[in-house]
Amino acid sequence: MFFALSNLRGLASRLFSRPALLPTTTTTITTRPFTTTLPSMASKPAAKPPSKKAAAGAAKSKASRRVAERDPKIVNMLQHFAALSPRRIPAPLRMGRNRHLRHWTIHRAWLLFRRRARKERERTLMRQQQSMSAACEELRLTEGPGTRDMGYLYRVAMEKKGVYGLHGVPIEYARAQTDTPARVPWNHEWKA
Amino acid sequence: MSHPVTATETTTEETPSVTSATRYKIKSGLILTRPPLLTREPTPFEAAFYLYQKRLNERLAVPFRREFYFRTDTAADLDWRLKLRERHGVPAKDIGRYNPRGRVAWNDEVLVGSETGMTADIVESLLKDAEVRISEDGEEIVDDERVPVERPMPRRTEADEKGDARRLDRALDQTLYLVVKKGEGEAATWQFPAGDVPTQEVLHETAARVLAESAGVNMNTWVVGRVPVAHYVTEPIFAEGEDAATAPKRRGEKIFFLKGRIMAGQADLTGNKHGLTDYQWLTKDEIKRVLPWDYYRSVRNMMADR
Repeated sequence: MFFALSNLRGLASRLFSRPALLPTTTTTITTRPFTTTLPSMASKPAAKPPSKKAAAGAAKSKASRRVAERDPKIVNMLQHFAALSPRRIPAPLRMGRNRHLRHWTIHRAWLLFRRRARKERERTLMRQQQSMSAACEELRLTEGPGTRDMGYLYRVAMEKKGVYGLHGVPIEYARAQTDTPARVPWNHEWKA
Repeated sequence: MSHPVTATETTTEETPSVTSATRYKIKSGLILTRPPLLTREPTPFEAAFYLYQKRLNERLAVPFRREFYFRTDTAADLDWRLKLRERHGVPAKDIGRYNPRGRVAWNDEVLVGSETGMTADIVESLLKDAEVRISEDGEEIVDDERVPVERPMPRRTEADEKGDARRLDRALDQTLYLVVKKGEGEAATWQFPAGDVPTQEVLHETAARVLAESAGVNMNTWVVGRVPVAHYVTEPIFAEGEDAATAPKRRGEKIFFLKGRIMAGQADLTGNKHGLTDYQWLTKDEIKRVLPWDYYRSVRNMMADR
């Protein structure tokens, strides 16, 4: 983790300054402006560098051309990455004792609120399940209708026909709740 | 339960010659509900907590870089800068005036009575931000010539204001239940649509049929499953000197309620076959005042919180 961070540190500034710092021989690296590999770690070409004088002339012209050709969009993006670098992002929250106590109180109040909401939801579900359960028990002990034997309606009610599959649930049922209603909140004119 | 009844046994008093099928009428009812269309309003505590968290997040987040999102000196850029200046340099639109990086970054509390962070305030600030203030030529548009932003519809509708309980576009953040009025005058009672189950039918078929017979077919409904969600039992009434072995003077009723959902349409009682005279779409609280108490008590457990 430490190595990863230290490698990322100052990524953008490294990228910016690369043309000036690059040795003349590592032309393969300069073609990849977004690489995170350090120049020293990149694979060295096997060929020996050419003579000193020729190399200096070539480097100057190439570097200047590269700076001139750099797309402003790339520059903008690199500056953006520079703002995202670990050096620039804000430090973790630091609070004084009273501020932290206040934060802790707010946090506990939020947990209490969430717990109450959760309990309320569970109670509702339990209520509804109990209601269904009581109705089913009554249905199981019911004879009829007419000449049907006891529990006939219950057995039919327990069947799961048409529950699964493509048309188990109507598509209109997938409507999500919104914060504000539609222009026409309800279609009263719907006809079968 | 159904014992073979022989000729000798029928004469004796002890034999259960009357089955429960003759003592109880079986009925199937449908509790037709319109699910809530709107989310619930956040409580003041929730709104305040979200504002607090947003301001904390401002302290932790990377600063907003205008140059990354807007090309310099374009209309969009000028528009953004104008609005940013009016927000006192705060890029976020919903946190009020708060600078997370200055010397007063600690000062993230809003004053007592402030509306900052409340839903209405957030909506207003977002609408204000959505208005285009700079023309394509880069000129500032004067107040009269700005195109107003389309505002969202209010959460309370016209039917809410009028208190029209027959409309379905009311109480949009709550469940509505269809109740119908049976009979006329003093004897009239409010109830859910329900009808007798004939021998060849089962609960969900009867429920769907009864709904079509009583409230019309112009409703896009769906009966949720075949399992009853609630039941209501009226005990049979026996004449003087009779007991449970004989046929009652008045049969009891077992009503099993299924749950239905309505997706579109409206109830229409014209020509119904169940003697219904009126209908209403009521919320959980309103239905309590309308239904008879023991009837309400037997169905209240199937109702959701809102």
